[in-house]
Amino acid sequence: MHGIEDLCEKCEEVMQPFLDRVLSDTERAEAERHLDECGYCRRRYRFEESLRQFVRGCCEEPMPVELKRKLAALRTPLT
Amino acid sequence: MGETARDSEPRQLASEARDRVRFEEEALELADQVYRVARRLVSTREEAEDLMQETYARAFRSWRSYTPGTNLRAWLLRILTNLNIDRGRRKQRAPAEQPLEEGDYYLYNRLEQSSRDGNVDEERVLERLSQGDVVDALSAVPHDFRDVIVLVDIGDFTYQDAANILDIPIGTVMSRLHRGRRILKRELAETAGGGGE
Repeated sequence: MHGIEDLCEKCEEVMQPFLDRVLSDTERAEAERHLDECGYCRRRYRFEESLRQFVRGCCEEPMPVELKRKLAALRTPLT
Repeated sequence: MGETARDSEPRQLASEARDRVRFEEEALELADQVYRVARRLVSTREEAEDLMQETYARAFRSWRSYTPGTNLRAWLLRILTNLNIDRGRRKQRAPAEQPLEEGDYYLYNRLEQSSRDGNVDEERVLERLSQGDVVDALSAVPHDFRDVIVLVDIGDFTYQDAANILDIPIGTVMSRLHRGRRILKRELAETAGGGGE
């Protein structure tokens, strides 16, 4: 017999492969079944998705214009 | 060399010059995206700028070894990560200290505990983290794990591309990515859920 806590633990274990879409069909279906009935896990999955987006956003740092010019200057001159 | 070969030489050179110019233009168009990854692979902006220039200098020199139609951004980042390792960042086989790692729910649980009503509003929780917190937490993740997170989660590379860029098996990419994200979340929990309240 598996209690709900075992199922949540399993769900936590497969969260990353689930969100990366690399779970097998069977594992995916199993996780989805649990997520349908478990708000605890559902909230944590949703949070992970927003967190990933947030981390990406935080890493946006435009390239300095000066660097762009330096890179272009490295091109082979046309003869 | 025969007559014909000599005659066709200028045309060959012209076509080669065209290919080279096209390569250089495509590589430069990707520079913003390459920089975004480079910037998070190293600690300072200066290092990232040096690394970019070395990478593009080498890429422009060895453009003939790029196979047209393949992923140019991945090709450039392979050069960049190799140069980064050459610059003195030796491949760390076994980190001296094992990074601390918790489960995937750890950060959320910590935030939930520290919020007043015990109810985590995802949007509001994320607002508690600043860009600086995230950048600091990411740089606290050991290199081997960070490289993979940066390539996949920030650079949008597939597992396979990341494996090619870093010259490691795809299984290693996956395990480092999964552990790395947990390490990152633990670092974030220290920043966001740790102090303050």
